Amino acid sequence: MILEARDVRHFYGAFRALDGVTLGIEPGQFVSIIGPNGAGKSTLVNVLTGLLHPASGTVRFDGRDIRGVGPVRLARLGLARSFQLVQIFPDLTVLETLQAAVLSRRGRARWILASLQADGEVRRDAEYVAELFGLAGRLHAPSRTLPQGDKKLLDVAAAFALRPRVILLDEPTSGVSTRDKTAVMEMLVRASRGVGVEAILLVEHDMDIVFGYSDRIVALQQGRILADTTPAGLRADAEVLAAMVGRPPQPSAGDRAPGAGGRARPAGS
Amino acid sequence: MRGSVAVGLALALGLALALPLIAPIYHVTLMLPFMAYGIALLGLNLLFGYAGLVSFGHALFLGIGAYAGAFLTTHTPVRSLEVILLTAMLAAALVAALVGALCVRYVKIYFGMLTLAFGMLFYTFVLKFYHLTGGDEGMRFLRPTLLGQPLSDMSKTAYLVGPYYYYSLALLVLATALMWRIVHSPFGLCLRTVRDNPLKAESLGLSVPRYRWHAFVVSAIYAAAGGVLLATPTGNVDPTLAYWTHSGSLVFMTLLGGFASFFGPLLGALVFIYLQDTVMSVFPYWRLVFGAILAVLVIFAPTGLAGLVDRALSARTARR
Amino acid sequence: MTAHVVNVLVSGVFHAAILFLVAAGLQVVFGVQKIFNLACGSFYALGAYVGVSAVQAFVDGGGAPALFIVPLVAGGLVAGLIGVVVERGLLRFIYDRDEAFQLLLTFAVVLMLEDLIRMTWGTAPTSTSGLYLVYGQVRLLGATVPTYNLIVIGASVVIAAGIGWLLTRTAFGRIVRAAAENREMAEALGVDMRSVYVRVFTLGSVLGTLGGALVIPSTAAMSEMGVELIVEAFAVVVIGGLGSMRGALAGALVVGVLRAAAIAVFPALEMLLIYLIVIGVLVLRPSGLFGKAVTA
Repeated sequence: MILEARDVRHFYGAFRALDGVTLGIEPGQFVSIIGPNGAGKSTLVNVLTGLLHPASGTVRFDGRDIRGVGPVRLARLGLARSFQLVQIFPDLTVLETLQAAVLSRRGRARWILASLQADGEVRRDAEYVAELFGLAGRLHAPSRTLPQGDKKLLDVAAAFALRPRVILLDEPTSGVSTRDKTAVMEMLVRASRGVGVEAILLVEHDMDIVFGYSDRIVALQQGRILADTTPAGLRADAEVLAAMVGRPPQPSAGDRAPGAGGRARPAGS
Repeated sequence: MRGSVAVGLALALGLALALPLIAPIYHVTLMLPFMAYGIALLGLNLLFGYAGLVSFGHALFLGIGAYAGAFLTTHTPVRSLEVILLTAMLAAALVAALVGALCVRYVKIYFGMLTLAFGMLFYTFVLKFYHLTGGDEGMRFLRPTLLGQPLSDMSKTAYLVGPYYYYSLALLVLATALMWRIVHSPFGLCLRTVRDNPLKAESLGLSVPRYRWHAFVVSAIYAAAGGVLLATPTGNVDPTLAYWTHSGSLVFMTLLGGFASFFGPLLGALVFIYLQDTVMSVFPYWRLVFGAILAVLVIFAPTGLAGLVDRALSARTARR
Repeated sequence: MTAHVVNVLVSGVFHAAILFLVAAGLQVVFGVQKIFNLACGSFYALGAYVGVSAVQAFVDGGGAPALFIVPLVAGGLVAGLIGVVVERGLLRFIYDRDEAFQLLLTFAVVLMLEDLIRMTWGTAPTSTSGLYLVYGQVRLLGATVPTYNLIVIGASVVIAAGIGWLLTRTAFGRIVRAAAENREMAEALGVDMRSVYVRVFTLGSVLGTLGGALVIPSTAAMSEMGVELIVEAFAVVVIGGLGSMRGALAGALVVGVLRAAAIAVFPALEMLLIYLIVIGVLVLRPSGLFGKAVTA
């Protein structure tokens, strides 16, 4: 198991944010975490990404204890994340943003007397990732001048440029128009293959996306896991579905086919 | 580098080299504090422009450099400017390593306050322990040898506008080239990520306090070298070198020239020195004038002179 | 022995009383506008000089020396109007800017005021000489203490209570506290922030100038007093906690009394001790005694 949380509990004062959450991710899986606001998703994400040390329980990445280890250490271990609220470097160009990530991955981030411009390897890596995200045409644009959608892509692209083993995407399509959501997801899936990501963790509200791309869906409510099953399995569970979505399920043609292994495939392919 | 900037630099360097031969002695001597401040500000801007940290105590390291030199020349047989510089930079690096380790965990106003406190701590220490440091009268800084040459047969003026001038210039060029390399290195890029978005930088595996600490130490080393060069011509060091308002002036100069540009700080030092000299010769209340200039800068032109030049150049290329 | 201790304590508390006024001015501005006003020391200096001039004019004009405190306080209060000029003329343009620039703008004010004071009053120290002795002295536990000092301490306590009342019992005070807590919310609720800002800043500057005026009888007005005081005031608000009134009071007492004690026992230590405490506080408990929690 590449990422595992066991019996995690966390409190904010008397409020139980996470009440005994156990979750395991295997390589090759695309796992979505869903749940209404206040269900504990953010807390869980922060616990899984080493930002929060849970009150009790264990969190292991590749067998290593990562509770509260911090984003810096975790990024070096191979777990990256993108953010719900777009995080970019306003004064850096697209290329520079990606170069920073590549430098970090290649352990060259503290070379103080070397010339960055002369580093062809780093540049090629960065350009490759830019290509995967459709940003190759804007390598030299300062990040703050990009349209909002591209900023979001850049945020995610930088995380991918770390070539992480596991990537956690925190609402990557929020703020993206419905028409573009699929395009974004396709891009993410393709990029994952391109950089060799082994597992994807997705936090999303858009159920079409969740059902269309996930191998497994984990439904969270009031700090507890209500269900951890395949899309089909979730559809069959009307009660949980109602708690999550609040309406009767739509036709299931777009669902991820059950039993399919390996990396996530685009729906219907 | 933009073509026009490269040409401008070449011209400036040529002018600087020729200055002692073509200009009156007075103007040449004015270049000496400019070069000293220039080196110090290159370092300060690594902290301000590239790391995003405003230090109100940077004069601390100027003071350390100056006092190191004064101490060496008056209490030891050392006269070599090279040894003095190395000692000053080492001392500053050590202090900065300790002070920086504390300060870089804090940002913005708390960083400013901590650095101000450390600067004033040094000032008070130097002021009160007058047995060691001469108190408010200061210490003498005897004439150092340049590359082993005592040059004691030269008058003070001849020494300053001749060999010492070229020595300082060489140091400035060296310091500038080194800082250029630092700023355009992987470290420099990652430093800017830490400035722009510490949260995101951490998620990419970059340790925010580490980068700030490195920038802090490098900037201190530069400031110490500047301090040595600043004190040599006057032959005297005193506690006011480390006073908080001197630190404020350093930030002022950086802002004046433009913190968002590599050469901005150098421009700022040059303009500040010459402007101060010009104003002081007609009007004793230069602080009033400079305070007003600072206010105008902050409100209307925060990117400083370099920013204005940049805008003008861009407008010209846009119109073509 | 007791006499010595009493003297040190009284001089310490007197200094604390003055520091409190200046620090209170700093705190209220920081609390609402989130600006650390480096020029508060300069306001203090201005108040001192205006106070001296007011008293000199009064006495020269035939006023009774026993009433000198009237023109002194009046001078201090009027000098505080500089706050309106600074706020409306300069500060209001940079509220949305980075903190570094706000700090630098207040530094610009420091520079300008320093020379303005020099231009108007010259560089030689001026004072009201021994005028404050007109109120005589008092015997306190064996020590002889100038009554004036006790008057100032008393006045400071009254002002502190007044500020407390202003902040907790008046509509203006409620608005100030709301704006300090959450500016956008206050604006959304219809508060005219422009008016609040200028009034808060002026309150801050008046407190500073008043402090400067009141200290005058026991010290001479000197041209460096502004840039020197800011460091002490800064120590007060760090120890007490940025933005907190109670912090200003506590911090002022700590700095004032410790300083007096240091001067009496080991003069070289004086400010050194204060700076070490400041650094210690910033490292161990950045929020100070009463400030809000700080996220590094």
